Amino acid sequence: MSLLINTAKANNLALCPQCHKLNNLRSEAANQEKIQCVRCHGLFYQRKAHSLQYTLAWNLAALIAFIPANLYPIMIIYSLGIGDPSTILSGIGQFIDQGLYPIAVIIFTASIIVPLIKIIGLFLLVYRVHTGVRLRPDKHSKFYHALEFLGPWSMLDVFVVALLVAVVELGFVTSVAAGPAINYFTLTVIFTMIAANSFDPRLLWDKNQDRETFKEENDN
Amino acid sequence: MGTSIDTKQFIACEQCDALYEKPDLIQGQRAKCVRCGNIMAERKVDSIERSFNWSLAGILLLLPAILLPIMGVTLAGQYHHASLLDCIVALIERGFLMIAILVFLFAIAVPVVRLFGAFYITYTFKFNKLKPSLLPFFKAFHHLDSWAMLNVFMLGIVVSMYKLLDDTELSVNMGLLAFILWLISSTMAAIALDQDYIWQRLEDEFVN
Repeated sequence: MSLLINTAKANNLALCPQCHKLNNLRSEAANQEKIQCVRCHGLFYQRKAHSLQYTLAWNLAALIAFIPANLYPIMIIYSLGIGDPSTILSGIGQFIDQGLYPIAVIIFTASIIVPLIKIIGLFLLVYRVHTGVRLRPDKHSKFYHALEFLGPWSMLDVFVVALLVAVVELGFVTSVAAGPAINYFTLTVIFTMIAANSFDPRLLWDKNQDRETFKEENDN
Repeated sequence: MGTSIDTKQFIACEQCDALYEKPDLIQGQRAKCVRCGNIMAERKVDSIERSFNWSLAGILLLLPAILLPIMGVTLAGQYHHASLLDCIVALIERGFLMIAILVFLFAIAVPVVRLFGAFYITYTFKFNKLKPSLLPFFKAFHHLDSWAMLNVFMLGIVVSMYKLLDDTELSVNMGLLAFILWLISSTMAAIALDQDYIWQRLEDEFVN
């Protein structure tokens, strides 16, 4: 009859994020305090502290770094002494011109779509948890896992540039140099990964649980 | 208030905080959260043995994978090849110190530390040499979970090969084979490691 499920928080328990050991809280009021795990002695909170604020801040930093990452060249190809700079997007354009569609799709997904979806998605999750508007914990927690999983794959372009710089080193004939965008792009990827790590998916369920409790009390 | 619950009797889902009575899993069984579908605990088959063997293989493959040239290009009679380590050296020489450090961390340091960590832990379990110092050691090991990017680097190799194939003569070297095998063994070592079981054993041994 209800969607209410017994949670660790409701029983005054807290789960250690490192070793997954349940810890007893000393008192009801202690749920904001730092806890030391009885098993691994790591310090943690019942919910990640200031989760939404941290996620928002890292996410904003990622968004800012993403702008120069797309404006500056990420790679400069020198042939016979003449440099040809290319940005992330113009690099993808070259792949399309050469007819290498699968590679163009992979790079476009990893370097443009994934960072953008991560940034927009995390903003959305923070907004939904904060306001509780149209919150669907089952759907949203799956979405969060997808974001978390996709994170590292954005490093693809950085690794490609690193490899090309090292391999294509034929002196005057042809060589590849990295451009300034690679710094900003790497920062974008790392900031979004930290932002995703700062988000606590249990907040999605907490908010929902609160509303269900409220509804039940009103029904009775 | 005041009465504390025996925490050994329960487990909670780390994704949605749902609380359950602790199931007694046999090898090959997993406990799934009914609310969010997350796998909360899994008793992996022959975890210690498999993880030990894979991490040993990974350690043996480590040096060839890092030092042997992965691929080379020939253009206008000139030939040049590069290994994983050369990528980092080239980035330092061009003044991209930050990128060099991060590529080093994600593609070399974190995977190597994880391999040695998994090897050490499974070694102590296999030969019954458990020490209290394993508790902080295994805790630190968990912090590295999301920062190993060997699989992404592998895709990077494939993409750059495509790119080079178009206008140069590309040659593949032994380093690529070593890297692929290294990727497989370190992934398998991480998958086979039953963290839940290890924590439980350590707790029974050293925590009252």
